[in-house]
Amino acid sequence: MYGGDEVSAIVIDLGSHTCKAGYAGEDAPKAVFPSVVGCINQMDADDDKENNDSETNNNNADSGKPKGKRKLYVGSQALGFRRDHMEVVSPLKDGVVLDWDIVDNIWDHAFKDCLLIDPKEHPMLLAEPSSNTQLQREKIAELMFEKYKVPALFLAKNAVLTSFASGRATSVVIDSGGGSTTVAPVHDGYVLQKAVSSSPIGGEFLTDCLMKSLESKGVVIKPRYSFKRKEIQPGVFQTVDVDLPHTTESYKLYSQRVIASDIKESVCRAPDTPYDESSYSNIPMTPYELPDGQTIEIGADRFKIPDILFNPSLAQTIPGVDNFAEISSSARGLPQMVIESINRCDVDIRKELFGSILLAGGTASMQQLKERLEKDLLEESPQAARVKVLASGNATERRFSVWIGGSILASLGSFQQMWFSKSEYEEHGASYIQRKCP
Amino acid sequence: MEAAVVDAGSKILKAGFAIPDQAPSLIIPTQMKRMLDDGSSVDNSMSEEVTVDPVVRGCINDWDAMEDLLHHILYTGLEWEVGNEGQILFTEPLCTPKAVREQLVQLLFETFNVSGFYASEQAVLSLYAVGRISGCTVDIGHGKIDIAAVLEGAVQHIASRRFEVGGSDLTKVLAQELGKSNPMVNLSISDAEKLKEQFACCAEDEIAYDRMLRTCETEEHTLPDGQVIRIGREKYTVGEALFQPSILGLEAHGIVEQLVRSVATVSSENQKQLLENTVLCGGTTSMTGFESRFQKEASLCSSAICPCLVKPPEYMPENLALYSAWVGGAILAKVVFPQNQHVTKGDYDETGPSVVHRKCF
Repeated sequence: MYGGDEVSAIVIDLGSHTCKAGYAGEDAPKAVFPSVVGCINQMDADDDKENNDSETNNNNADSGKPKGKRKLYVGSQALGFRRDHMEVVSPLKDGVVLDWDIVDNIWDHAFKDCLLIDPKEHPMLLAEPSSNTQLQREKIAELMFEKYKVPALFLAKNAVLTSFASGRATSVVIDSGGGSTTVAPVHDGYVLQKAVSSSPIGGEFLTDCLMKSLESKGVVIKPRYSFKRKEIQPGVFQTVDVDLPHTTESYKLYSQRVIASDIKESVCRAPDTPYDESSYSNIPMTPYELPDGQTIEIGADRFKIPDILFNPSLAQTIPGVDNFAEISSSARGLPQMVIESINRCDVDIRKELFGSILLAGGTASMQQLKERLEKDLLEESPQAARVKVLASGNATERRFSVWIGGSILASLGSFQQMWFSKSEYEEHGASYIQRKCP
Repeated sequence: MEAAVVDAGSKILKAGFAIPDQAPSLIIPTQMKRMLDDGSSVDNSMSEEVTVDPVVRGCINDWDAMEDLLHHILYTGLEWEVGNEGQILFTEPLCTPKAVREQLVQLLFETFNVSGFYASEQAVLSLYAVGRISGCTVDIGHGKIDIAAVLEGAVQHIASRRFEVGGSDLTKVLAQELGKSNPMVNLSISDAEKLKEQFACCAEDEIAYDRMLRTCETEEHTLPDGQVIRIGREKYTVGEALFQPSILGLEAHGIVEQLVRSVATVSSENQKQLLENTVLCGGTTSMTGFESRFQKEASLCSSAICPCLVKPPEYMPENLALYSAWVGGAILAKVVFPQNQHVTKGDYDETGPSVVHRKCF
């Protein structure tokens, strides 16, 4: 049992797109940075210097060189600076952590560089995906207690935290984040595991579709590092391309995605009716100015891209989206996922679930999404149910609702006895976490 | 009695009563010298001067030294009477850990027995000094650089960055460069600091800098101890380091690019308002040629909207950049204390140091 007195807990939410960290009790996280890292493989950089050619992937086993260490660059500042041979790597794949070293570096950056705290003095509340495996949880506990020596730890499921953030104990949480969309019903503070469903269509997939769609129309998104402005005469500027041959493909894609997601966030909105090529072909175009000064006009894509959430097969109509076959098996429209999820729950609570459907996550802050979802659900739900979709009005709150829920939870007086403390870890081991953090 | 406003920087501490439109009455260096117990100072011939820096990189590090410094400021400088202490407003840099804030509050209420306390971030205060509540501040101080985006008086932490680079690192670069071109001269850090303040400037743009590197005339300058030193292109290197951090050995973009990229993370409807109200503050920004170079770089940055600098109002004193956080604090003190939004002694006695997080944000 850990009874902290006046020491603030730290809440961390490591999502597939951004990592949010901050003090409990505050209304927004202080540290928000991408959860991908830049990685330079020392061997690749040395090989290139020696051989002077760009074949860095057939690394010779017969060279006798020891396996090079790789250098990681974490945080928006470090990632924003273009370096030769820097690859962009994500620690998560389909929501499961594959590379614990990167996660370790991300936490380190959050504690030491962004929040300026010493992890030994603060209990940690971590948010985890609603369908996390026992092995992952034990690994988190081990890493936190052994390396960071935190005094206490708690792992809470994303859906439960969102539920707390809105003040409800029973609801269906639609968490539409960067990498995936998860629908999880929560009843009395516990996630109903058998009814959780997830789809790989998330913000990043929509950004990719937007990028491919713009490319097919001839728009080239130039990453910020690839051009420079020159003043050829006073007041007259010209954009000049800068050629940087050692930039990796993944970095280029990452920089383009940053710009494309800004376009998506400012211009896209969910259509009121299902998207239809003919009816949306005549709508007026909205202009958007890219960082290099180019102005592009976006018309039908404004409505087509968000509609992919409701109708995933639309993505097939965009030229260049080639990996659709692998996701089409698990991709379903949002309303179908919600109905399916609720139908897997007990009959008694279904009515309550229909009446409190919560939206959370970065992609959920799209304009008009709430209204469109409500309308679609009304059509497909059983007659007697009263459908209500709730979402906080503030876009920032929707984006950080998991973190905010954690902040609320960790500052409750009644929560202080539920921490998994260091002494309990030493006594019972990491597997005890299953009992302490249901 | 007016509230006291204290802005403790890494190099210079500004303090005074909260009378806006005036410079602070007390501008003293934060660095102190350690005295031996019997009152005599450390003998210079025996050892190096033992200097104590209570504020390092913007954050209070040495609490005992800070206590002594505050004692001097409050009782000697501002002439507070023991037993009749007033209210005090402190400024703090971005990302101050909660523990530091609590310790400061504890120090002030328990050791100094102040009657009221308020703390605010320097970025917000600098904007108040120029009459805005939303905008960006680029605060280049002695120990750190803060780039902050403020909307309606609240710092947007998502779009703010802090760099552990500042005037002190520029001084080191200058000392190194001068050491290379004047190998006979023995230069101390404090001399280098004075030379930097006197001579450092910014070239008009990168091309002009390259030209300066090749063809700059050198001046001769006599140091206080009689040595003669030649300064030429080194003075431009100091200014250039802010726009090309590779000179300092860092892998980062220049100041303007960092500003533009941090603001890009805010939603686009606010970006225009933020970039068009950019305020430069901090001692290092008063370098000759810095502002015009900043504006030149702003027009060349990789963003559609260019940062525009805000002109301070005419009724503000000259050199506002050096103490804009203090002036903003004076303005804020006039609002917060009369309206009882500050932390009073009663609040502190009832709740303890953590009350500061609820009342001051």
